[in-house]
Amino acid sequence: MTVATSRQGLKIWIRELGRNGWILGIWLLLIMLVVWYGSLIPSFGNFQITSISKNSLPLVYLAIGQAIIVIAGGIDLSLGSLLILANALAARHMDEQGLGMVLGIGLALILGLGFLNALVGWIIHVSGVPDIVVTLATSYIWSGLALWILPSPGGGTAPEFRWLFTGSPSGIGGTYVMPLSMMLIPAAMVFFMSRRSHLGLSMYAIGSDRATSRLAGVNIRKAKIASYAIGGGMAALAGLATIAITGTGDPRFSVGAMATLNSIAAVVLGGVALAGGSGSVPGVVPAGVILIMLNPILSAMGINPNNVQIIQGVMIAGVMMIGTHGTEAGQNLMKRLRFKVTHHYG
Amino acid sequence: MTSSRPILAAANVTKAYGPVVALRGVDFAVAQSEIHALLGANGAGKSTLVKALAGVHTVDSGSLSINGSPFACKAPSDALHAGIATVFQDSALLPDLTVSQNLRLSRTDPVVFQRWLAWFELAHLQLADLVKDLPLETLRIIDLARAIAGDPHVLLLDEITAALTAEQAERVFSFLVHWKERGRSAVLITHRLAEVLRICDRATILRDGQNVALLDTSRVPASCHGSEDLDEHTLVAAMLGAAQHQQATAPQEATTGNRPQGAVHFEVKQLGFEKRLQNISFVLHGGEVLGLVALEGQGQELLFDLLAGERRPTEGAIIIEGQVRRFRSPADAVAHGVALVPGDRQQALLPSLPVHQNLAAPLFNHPAQWLTLPRHEEAAVHNAVDRLAIDTRAASQVRRLSGGNQQKVAIGRWLVAGFKTLLCFDPTRGIDIQTKGDIYILLRELAADGASILLYTSELAEIPLVCDRVLVMHGGRIVDEQDAAAATESTLLTAAHGLEALA
Repeated sequence: MTVATSRQGLKIWIRELGRNGWILGIWLLLIMLVVWYGSLIPSFGNFQITSISKNSLPLVYLAIGQAIIVIAGGIDLSLGSLLILANALAARHMDEQGLGMVLGIGLALILGLGFLNALVGWIIHVSGVPDIVVTLATSYIWSGLALWILPSPGGGTAPEFRWLFTGSPSGIGGTYVMPLSMMLIPAAMVFFMSRRSHLGLSMYAIGSDRATSRLAGVNIRKAKIASYAIGGGMAALAGLATIAITGTGDPRFSVGAMATLNSIAAVVLGGVALAGGSGSVPGVVPAGVILIMLNPILSAMGINPNNVQIIQGVMIAGVMMIGTHGTEAGQNLMKRLRFKVTHHYG
Repeated sequence: MTSSRPILAAANVTKAYGPVVALRGVDFAVAQSEIHALLGANGAGKSTLVKALAGVHTVDSGSLSINGSPFACKAPSDALHAGIATVFQDSALLPDLTVSQNLRLSRTDPVVFQRWLAWFELAHLQLADLVKDLPLETLRIIDLARAIAGDPHVLLLDEITAALTAEQAERVFSFLVHWKERGRSAVLITHRLAEVLRICDRATILRDGQNVALLDTSRVPASCHGSEDLDEHTLVAAMLGAAQHQQATAPQEATTGNRPQGAVHFEVKQLGFEKRLQNISFVLHGGEVLGLVALEGQGQELLFDLLAGERRPTEGAIIIEGQVRRFRSPADAVAHGVALVPGDRQQALLPSLPVHQNLAAPLFNHPAQWLTLPRHEEAAVHNAVDRLAIDTRAASQVRRLSGGNQQKVAIGRWLVAGFKTLLCFDPTRGIDIQTKGDIYILLRELAADGASILLYTSELAEIPLVCDRVLVMHGGRIVDEQDAAAATESTLLTAAHGLEALA
């Protein structure tokens, strides 16, 4: 009896390992990079961990939002523009306000941009125009609005609000407890929603196969709109994190465009298939951190900052190629292991 | 048995897909505790009617009703709520999710679901397995068990038995009888007419999107075999219409006396692949149709892959007109005149392109033709369309054609491109009898023009109709060769099971 149960447990464990091979790999890569970075600089500690985790916040948030939209079979090119829109609105209205007001504005921005992007999801569903076209168009609109609200870099926020995201009222130094928990708590919330709720399953379903989901009785419209709402909310959170880190607003289009591209890179690196229906949040979080970590690592190695992007590009392509083959080989290995456990033990 | 008020009814329903009218004023009614067969040739509108009842398609005109009250069904979820559960021709399970996630998605009670799985002898199934890792027949049973677990009033089953093994199909039929005894109803689409007569109460027969007959099949005396046979023929005759019924058997006359005369086109010597295929040798003469018969999974798919250049054999040789050839790719095989009509039509066709481009596709194989249109393209394509009598009403996209017409396009492509050896893998599976007849005639005509044809078929009755000789495969080897004209289903099945024929 106990033998049978432990064998069953071993089989389940091997299966989960096989299915989550990519996520495991990306966490290992992150740990390797942290260790490597620690060996490159004279002292590695609280300051570096705080710096890396807080600087990763905007990209991690954006990547989580992008991951949910991609899992549900879409793609959102406007997330970066939503980030600068949230950033501009926050910088304009949070400046010289009390903490209560600032928090209220923050919450309103998350809900408001979530609703705005839900509207975009609804338009995509009803019009039948491809996601990439509609969100490309809205990315210009949101950027334009951001410039209209905050014509040049400026504005500000409350020091307590900066502490919330960075662990320090001035944005310099501080403790890594705050940025790490601000990264992991929303990530865990979105993760459990996506894996445990009926709505989350519906998102995986419509990304996997729309027609089949319809036959299975899934409400496609609801799942689609909800995925865009989460994307909008996460983009607003990314905009709030940006103002908390820098202390001011920056409405430049290029900031948003770069953020969008980085979010897609993190999603791909995190093991979410662009075709939809697979991947999950725990893979995307370390991928976002890795992309941010490359900058300090390469500068610690004394590489010309102008060449950093080339190395980033080569690394993404390399990891994807090695990773794709590695995961396949790993999955085959796990299948064989399961077979052995089933047929050769006991 | 057939009570007065139907539990589910469709009245004067019409449905068109663009220019193609699939249903033209169809009436259909299912009574309480009735198993109702829905029959018709391919393209008759059976699946469209089921999809309308299941809420997948909205009807253009006409009305649906449940228990006498009108029922507006806009999405599959509406039909589910109204107590109509459907098992579609294609699995409605999401491949990237596990079985239990699929159940949660459709809000199915896993306990009830597993009770039904046990009924179909699948109690050992791991609910944490990904759907894409499970075999097709298991998915069909999961689909069915999920539909039943919702405890619907009416169960719509579209060709569920096609992918099942004989024992599983028998379980499904006995389930349906049990289902009826519980006072529930079912609609059954199937090609197995014997089962229709055995378990169904009534049969609605469609042709060209119209009702042609409503037969009471419950009165057939099961014990009297003579009249049962007669009734299967009645069903077939109703599906085809009287005039067309002749055609399905016509090629028989073409076959008689047609012995291989031509030179050896295609020869296979000692072909093997790892341990799965061993020592396969045969010759194909010009002007010959060589049949191949095997039970499921005896290596026939692999053999066709090797012959068509999709995979390379580990042993042996393929010899074409005296020269040993090693195909690097299917394109290489095509260049040597060896063309494949695969078992899965979707694999052969470019579903979103028009008929014309599907037929002309192989003409563009040569780089010299990439910039200019082949001169003879237009004429060759029209020639193929005429010769195959392809129904071109939905010609703008091949995926809108019926299965039979899609298969004609898949074969017609090689008429346009030219070939010497044609490998056909079960070309008539899931195709109506009339189109089957067309394909038999076509294969015989091609052979008469000097081509050599290898035909794998899962319908043993086709062998004496179309083939000259027949090979039987078992366990990755050729175990028998018979003269097709003398072969019977019993001699073929005996050999296919790897048994010696009884004296």
